[in-house]
Order: sequence, then C-alpha cells, then structure tokens
Amino acid sequence: MILTGKKIIEEVQKGKIDITPFDKSRVTTNSYDLSLGNIIIRYKQDIIDPKCQASYEEITIPEDGLVLSAGDFVLGHSKERIGSDFYVPLIHGKSGTARMGLFVHVTADLIDIGSHGVTTFQLYATLPVRLYPGMLIAQVSFWVPLGDIVLYKGKYQNSTGPRPSMTYKDFKYDIFKKN
Amino acid sequence: MILTGSKIKEEINAGNIVIEPFFENQVNPNSYNYRLGSTIKVFNGFDGKKALFKEVNIPEDGYVLEPRKMYLTTTKEVIGSSKYAMSLIGRSSMGRYGLFLQVSANLGHTTSEHKWTLEIVAAIPIKLYPGMIIGQVSFWKNFGTVRKYDGRYGYLNHPQESYIPLIEHQSI
Repeated sequence: MILTGKKIIEEVQKGKIDITPFDKSRVTTNSYDLSLGNIIIRYKQDIIDPKCQASYEEITIPEDGLVLSAGDFVLGHSKERIGSDFYVPLIHGKSGTARMGLFVHVTADLIDIGSHGVTTFQLYATLPVRLYPGMLIAQVSFWVPLGDIVLYKGKYQNSTGPRPSMTYKDFKYDIFKKN
Repeated sequence: MILTGSKIKEEINAGNIVIEPFFENQVNPNSYNYRLGSTIKVFNGFDGKKALFKEVNIPEDGYVLEPRKMYLTTTKEVIGSSKYAMSLIGRSSMGRYGLFLQVSANLGHTTSEHKWTLEIVAAIPIKLYPGMIIGQVSFWKNFGTVRKYDGRYGYLNHPQESYIPLIEHQSI
C-alpha cells in the first residue's frame, strides 16, 4: 500500500515520517516533491573500480544554472532530509524532469526503512539540461511494510550532501569465497 | 505492501520465497542484495539479419564495461516466489556509479523462479567482478488471485537476449 498525500502530512505531524524542511504545498496526491541541493559530484576517474575509492570533484551549482550535456552522469542531492522508521520511501523523478530525459536515479529507487539523511540523486542526462539549485526535481513516496522492522544502519546514514559510492567497503568482507 | 528483511527470511524458511544460495548478511531492511553471475553477453553487431551477442566469462580481475553499450548477464542466485511479486533493481552503491541493472523492466512475476537476466548499461566506464554484490530484489504482497506465470523468460538461467528479433537499421 502506498500512502496518500494526506496520510504523509499526518505521519509527518506524528513524527513517523521525517521530511525537513517540510512545506505542505509540496505534498502531491501520493508523494512529496523534493528540491535539488546546490552541490554536485562528478567522478574524475577514467574507469571506476568498485574495489577502490574513486576520485571526484565537488561543484557548486551557480544561481544561473549548470548545464549537463547528453550522456553526462553526476551525483546531486535533495535539499530535504528524509527518512522513516515506519514506512519504506521510494524515489521517483518528477514527470517534468523525466520529460527532459533526465534520470534522477539509476535503477536504485528503494530506500531502506530507518535510513535518514538527504538523498543522493544519480543524475543521468539523455538531452542537454540546465540544473538550477532549489528546482523541484524528484518526488518521494512512502509504502507500508509487511513484517518485523529492523532499521537501516548502513554506510550512507545521516548524509548531509551527495555521497559517492562506498563499494570499496564491501570488498573487505569475504564475499567472493561464498559459493 | 513490501516485505521487510525479517519477513523475507521467514518466507524463505516457509518455502514461499526462493533465493539460492542465500546468505543472511545480504538481507537489507526491505530487500535482499543479489550478486553478479560469471558470464556476460555483449551486443556485437549483425551477421546478415541476425544480431550477434558475444558471451564472455567475467575474469576474476574484472571486466570493464564501456558507456552506452548494452550488456546482458544474470544474477548468481536463483530468485523466485510462489506467493509474492518481485522488483529487481540496482543498489544505491552501483547507482552512484551510474550503473543501470535493468532497462525499466524491474517487475518479476509471481511464480517465476530463475537466475534473472540483467540488462546492464553503464553511464561511465566501470569494472565489474564476478560474484560482486550488485543489486537488490524486493518482494511485494499480491492483491487478488495469482495466475501462474506462463511467459517465456521466467525459467531461464542464462543471459537471454530478447526473443523479439533485432534488425539492422539506419539510425534516425
């Protein structure tokens, strides 16, 4: 089951959903609109190797915008801190964003229950697009879980800006010796 | 409703979800992390009217994907459920590298059970290792009577290209 906008407002008021800052006018029928924060991360590595920490640069989006070319891939972030210990959030583009050919995530829409922080957008442009700080770029919906809840305690908890991948931490575990 | 990690474990024990091999430390709060299989197919042009896919073993020291090429591979695990619908997606750690694990076809039908074909597209060059944790699958409660899946792809265990013939054509 997916929460309606009215239910999202109720659960924010009860403290069961965290959206900070929260602006009632951004509540839609089934979701809440997220705005783009002003920091962008671009990888500088020629080839990403998930076993190693990738080098990257941080760029501040100017007030008059930052242009992504078709085929560009960068990380952005929501201005809002989001999370819930009671519902599962899913990230979606806004239809207006998608109609410009801009992906806001790369097949990873699912957020763990108990994960809190600003969300990292995986921005992939298929057409040239101009990004403005604060633009409404994505939306988050909330879904009812079934079963006992064990909260997220992972490596991206309490993010305050865009977070590059930390897969190099996975390789500390002995995952390759498993059959 | 989406199953929590605890519920996924319960339903594996009850036989309503299959994940083989299964490791408890790959269970997330509301999904399971699957791993990459050991072979990959890459589109390699046309021979007459037939699309050619070259299949290679992913070496232990990694295989580099080029941007904007399309690759097919599989999950290492057999994944399925007689009771729940599934959504198979990437994980945020790979999304943060611009790696698409499917091309807008995340939905897994109730009663299908196999090593899933992954449709991989890389936004930037990236190296993949066989057996690495690469994506996640979630399980969703059904509403209504389940009819058994009778499609063509739901029981295959190798990376299977589309049965719709690819025909060589001029770009627009």
